Amino acid sequence: MSGLTRAAAAVADPTAAVVSATRTEKTRGPFWRPSRKLIELVVLLTPALALFTFFVLLPICVAAYYGLFNWSGYGALSDFVGLHNYRLVLDDPVFRESVLHNVIIAVLSLVIQLPLSLALALLLNRRMKGGTLLRLAVFAPYVLSEATTAVLWLLMLQPGGFVDQLFKAVGLGHEIKLWLADPSIVLYTLFVVVTWKYIGFGIILLLAGLQGVPVELREAAAIDGASPWQVTRRITLPLLGPTIRIWIFLSMIGSLQLFDIVWIMTIGGPANSSSTMVTYMIENGFRSLEFGFGSAVAVILFIISFVFALLYQRFALRRDTAGALTRAVG
Amino acid sequence: MRSTRKYAAVTVAAVAALALAACSSGSSGPSSGSGGSHKTSGPVTLTWWNNATANPLKGVYLSAISAFHAANPKVNITDVPIQNEQFLTKMPLALQSSNPPDIFQQWGGGQEATQIKSGKLQNVTNMVSSLITQLGPAAAGWQVNGQQYGIPYDLHMVGFWYRKDLFAKAGIKTPPATLPELNADVTKLKAAGIAPIAVGSKDRWPDAFYWDYFAVRECSIATLKTAVKAISANYPCFAKAGNALKTFMATKPFQVGFLGTPAQVGAGSSAGLVANGKAAMELQGDWDPGVMSALTSNKKFVSQIGWFPFPSVPGAAGSPTALLGGGDGFSCTTTAPEPACVNFLSYLDSAAVQEKLVSTADVGLPANPAAASALSLPAERQILALSQSASYVQNYFDIAYPTNVGQALDNAVADYFAGQGTPTGIVTAIDQAAARQ
Amino acid sequence: MAGATVTVPSYGRRRRIKPTVPLSYLTALVILAITLVPMLFVILGGFRTTAQINSSPTGLPHPWVWSTASFWENLGNSAMIAVIATALAVGLGAMAAFALSRYDFRFREGWYLVFAIGLLFPANVASLPIYLLLKHINLLDNPLGVALPEAAFSLPFTIIILRPFMRAIPGELQDAAVVDGASRLTFFLRILLPLSRPALMTVSILAFVTSWNAYLLPFLVFTSEGHFTLPLGVATFQSTYSQNTASIFAFTALSMLPALAFFVLAQRRIVGGLSGLAGSVKG
Repeated sequence: MSGLTRAAAAVADPTAAVVSATRTEKTRGPFWRPSRKLIELVVLLTPALALFTFFVLLPICVAAYYGLFNWSGYGALSDFVGLHNYRLVLDDPVFRESVLHNVIIAVLSLVIQLPLSLALALLLNRRMKGGTLLRLAVFAPYVLSEATTAVLWLLMLQPGGFVDQLFKAVGLGHEIKLWLADPSIVLYTLFVVVTWKYIGFGIILLLAGLQGVPVELREAAAIDGASPWQVTRRITLPLLGPTIRIWIFLSMIGSLQLFDIVWIMTIGGPANSSSTMVTYMIENGFRSLEFGFGSAVAVILFIISFVFALLYQRFALRRDTAGALTRAVG
Repeated sequence: MRSTRKYAAVTVAAVAALALAACSSGSSGPSSGSGGSHKTSGPVTLTWWNNATANPLKGVYLSAISAFHAANPKVNITDVPIQNEQFLTKMPLALQSSNPPDIFQQWGGGQEATQIKSGKLQNVTNMVSSLITQLGPAAAGWQVNGQQYGIPYDLHMVGFWYRKDLFAKAGIKTPPATLPELNADVTKLKAAGIAPIAVGSKDRWPDAFYWDYFAVRECSIATLKTAVKAISANYPCFAKAGNALKTFMATKPFQVGFLGTPAQVGAGSSAGLVANGKAAMELQGDWDPGVMSALTSNKKFVSQIGWFPFPSVPGAAGSPTALLGGGDGFSCTTTAPEPACVNFLSYLDSAAVQEKLVSTADVGLPANPAAASALSLPAERQILALSQSASYVQNYFDIAYPTNVGQALDNAVADYFAGQGTPTGIVTAIDQAAARQ
Repeated sequence: MAGATVTVPSYGRRRRIKPTVPLSYLTALVILAITLVPMLFVILGGFRTTAQINSSPTGLPHPWVWSTASFWENLGNSAMIAVIATALAVGLGAMAAFALSRYDFRFREGWYLVFAIGLLFPANVASLPIYLLLKHINLLDNPLGVALPEAAFSLPFTIIILRPFMRAIPGELQDAAVVDGASRLTFFLRILLPLSRPALMTVSILAFVTSWNAYLLPFLVFTSEGHFTLPLGVATFQSTYSQNTASIFAFTALSMLPALAFFVLAQRRIVGGLSGLAGSVKG
């Protein structure tokens, strides 16, 4: 009601309204008056919220419900089994193996990809001839779809194929393995493919972060007698911290949802030695026509991702993102 | 101003794209419209999902389409070949959408029974009764509760395909008739530096053939029938079969890297290995020569290929002449226009097309007994004779059982091939999956 | 340091550092090789015949062997879906970010958190539930069935990136607009959005690329090949035409080109956006 009166007053005397508006605004910051706000808010927020709720939040709730049934996907939901599916999933050694595979990929990313990206970014952090071309080339695999990458590497990793021939050419013929057929190494082969695809992204991200490390700081430290390694360790790396933490976050989320590359190259085989949580879900939900079971898997995966991400946000990213929200971006 | 125009332009583009999407999805459905079988008078187009991604079978299908179209100008059929392994994932998805294909590949058995639950398979009993009589007992594999939901176009038996030249090279004069003889031959081949048996373990179902056959050898015919009906493997003979498999695998008869070898995709597949002379034997269905011919440039290989049935197992309780088999057929979905659909499927069973299928495309045995004389490969005539004298033909278990049980079986056997699990674990997996029915 | 007369040797030019320079170039070359060789392998492979490939996988091409098959259809589908998903994500996301950045209302941070949660939730994991949902509302085998979920999953990072940008627009601009008699809508459309253009470009590119490269959801949703997107087409082509290795190479190579071309054109924006992302979270 007060909004209407104010609006009426504004119509009657525009300048007075503006003055009063700015006066109230100044005490509260750059925010509009409460009048008409609700309608506008609804108009602005609802579409996004609706789309998001319907396609992101709702499916999980629906899946939680379906998980309580045995369902082949055909016909109506008739076979209520309570939490049986959830228990089956958690008891299934193949599921636990799949989770382990995701964890292995995540840990390997941390232990191999991160230092590698860092080292490469540090080495490349200078003005070089053909720097743009280099950045283009390094980043290119990231732009390819995972599906294309998978087909690409599938072609190269055939027994007697390109990779094998390359090994022979550099004298490493005795090291040739059954890249995709040996259960003990297939997961690591896939990790190499994933690394090929994403290392460029890591390098570029870290390079961008390195731009934010003031040269003056490094120079000052150098003048004070610090060796290049000390400069890197004491100054560059800490300042790079937020970027690194973002990389870790993105990498972990990516590791959790790994599917395309695995599915196209090995379908999680041989004998589940390269299965991931999502391939497990698709394999057991779709191909076996057990959508109740598959839904239970989806819910469990969601919980795992959610818990991880929440914990990570809380402990690792909090101080970084807090700054992001209030800073003015240059 | 500029920004408003840009915003507006984006909105217009988005709306246009949305409209385009809506329209394209509407027109992508079968032009027969919705609803059950109904007679249409205008031209109709049917989508036909089959697994003939390669010649010669693909060519035979295409000529069948044009011949049928010449005789029925109002009926157009779109050939949509899909790789066999993709079928297993795509078919359930398709049957759940509102837009399934009109005709799709159907292997019958418990798998068909599972699909019927979707309500999208057409009951064609009344439309093809005379054809079914003509086809004889084979058609029963595509019936559920006495109702016909699919029409077979070929039949298959599974046995060992082998390279006569490689056998000769290893000093093997005749193909083995008993399991000990097979094991001895495996040793001879290894001594000659030849991969004895190729198996496409990556695709899992080829592994299951071994377990299936050991079950067929160990179990009496009555037990086999009961097991399928009860959707269980909880009988002592199945455990024995698992152990027989274990002993067989201990002889390490397979090619290097068999866990990653696909069955039919590429020259490195198990079929490709035999076709190119890199392996001596493969336990496969009688469609294999057709598959092999697409994977090799060696046109002579047809004369180099022979066939022998799965050897008998000494001391086993089952019948030594029982065969593992199945067949291919097609089903019409409820949205398919009739009688165009059943007419086409009946046409595929006509003597003319059947003869082409078995002679040019080497699909296997004809569903229509009248075309038996057209079998060109001596091996196939051998198979036909054997199938007619067999004591029993067991449908491959992953088809005989409902889909999720069949998948569980394939997975368990494949895991076992990779060194995981136990022979009894296979039986348990089947029963656990059956409980989730 | 301003005004100092002592010449400070710049870090990069100190003699002590020289050894790393050739090392850098060497590293760059190695990285270039590792990155580009596989792609070249596929592109060149498309120029050879299958027999040649089977006999010598690492050889150089001979006559051009190529069949386009369904490539252009897949390309068109990918483009259409990506445009819809991006337009929806960025359009709705910008509106929501505007509300969340320049309005004050109860539970505002709560609503923001709701969107932020989506960031923690990988799209692939939701694919099976989304599939079941689409089945219910009859959107299977429909491009919208892919575009809408993709837009929804792109909303979180869109809003998270746009909000600080919009927040940073000075309040004085707003006041000035009010003085000129502009409504909030006009302010949004004519002042805020143009000023947010760098961020808008970044999120558009991110949403577009995410949609373009998606595989699992299209795989589940599309049954008729006429609807396939490019990643799906590549994977399907590979299995359908397995014996025609040369065609697979050609198809795969072709499917890489749009992404690479797009990247070359937009690389400044992409890298710039990443810089912004990295910069926005500096401690």
